Amino acid sequence: MAHAAQVGLQDATSPIMEELITFHDHTLMIIFLICFLVLYALFLTLTTKLTNTNISDAQEMETVWTILPAIILVLIALPSLRILYMTDEVNDPSLTIKSIGHQWYWTYEYTDYGGLIFNSYMLPPLFLEPGDLRLLDVDNRVVLPIEAPIRMMITSQDVLHSWAVPTLGLKTDAIPGRLNQTTFTATRPGVYYGQCSEICGANHSFMPIVLELIPLKIFEMGPVFTL
Amino acid sequence: MAAPPEPGEPEERKSLKLLGFLDVENTPCARHSILYGSLGSVVAGFGHFLFTSERSCDVGVGGFILVTLGCWFHCRYNYAKQRIQERIAREEIKKKILYEGTHLDPERKHNGSSSN
Repeated sequence: MAHAAQVGLQDATSPIMEELITFHDHTLMIIFLICFLVLYALFLTLTTKLTNTNISDAQEMETVWTILPAIILVLIALPSLRILYMTDEVNDPSLTIKSIGHQWYWTYEYTDYGGLIFNSYMLPPLFLEPGDLRLLDVDNRVVLPIEAPIRMMITSQDVLHSWAVPTLGLKTDAIPGRLNQTTFTATRPGVYYGQCSEICGANHSFMPIVLELIPLKIFEMGPVFTL
Repeated sequence: MAAPPEPGEPEERKSLKLLGFLDVENTPCARHSILYGSLGSVVAGFGHFLFTSERSCDVGVGGFILVTLGCWFHCRYNYAKQRIQERIAREEIKKKILYEGTHLDPERKHNGSSSN
């Protein structure tokens, strides 16, 4: 989960998020160099003693500052598109979970191997145990196996919501009347948090998502397969 | 502001953010690229000044940008290659542990194919 005043991305828990972090670093370095160049140009503009009121054109400079940004944009776009298509790859998911957004809680359905359906409400502050996270912990977590491709089908029962888990690099809108799909493969076990990411009313900030990722062997012993 | 590290946990390196957003301590290859870029900037700018005795700030800034970019792409390419190799090694070790002694043992398959 994020720590207080965190600005950067969370550590990756899926290969896609690793790629996104790499892309973010790449783009940030390009942005830094552009900012550096612009600051230098600004500094020169403010400190120069040269004045020329007869400049009419500057063809070479205009060519450079047209071609160069185009090249920079291509340098940014190519990795971006690569990751975009990577997220859409079909990888034969082992498990499909449905996630339905409501005001203001999530419903999860594990219907592949039985009929496990449950609601996931944020724990009110009065019900928190020592060690629980305020405004993040829920009564029923989504328990999933690691190192298995998982498909999430996301929709909503009322208004727009968005199912987001930053550490997995996931954010998918929950739209009433529409079924959106996202897939992921988690690489390490743990408890990971997310929050609703589309304004949905008074308690929009109080419908978190909590994934509990566990080894497949332990997952197979759980209620999904034994119900 | 960050939570203090638990005992036994490695302490997170204090982040130095250039221009307020580029975290050179925690971004792989960033510190290396910026340092080499600075060196390249000084060499290019000073060298240009020595040869021409003209204003060399522009050459210095250009040198910084080009050397930083060059080092950055070179380092990131090698880092990506290393990550892929680590991933392959991790998968092979997992497969080896899982299938050792069975007909799916990767070592047995490899020995079988090399003896053929």
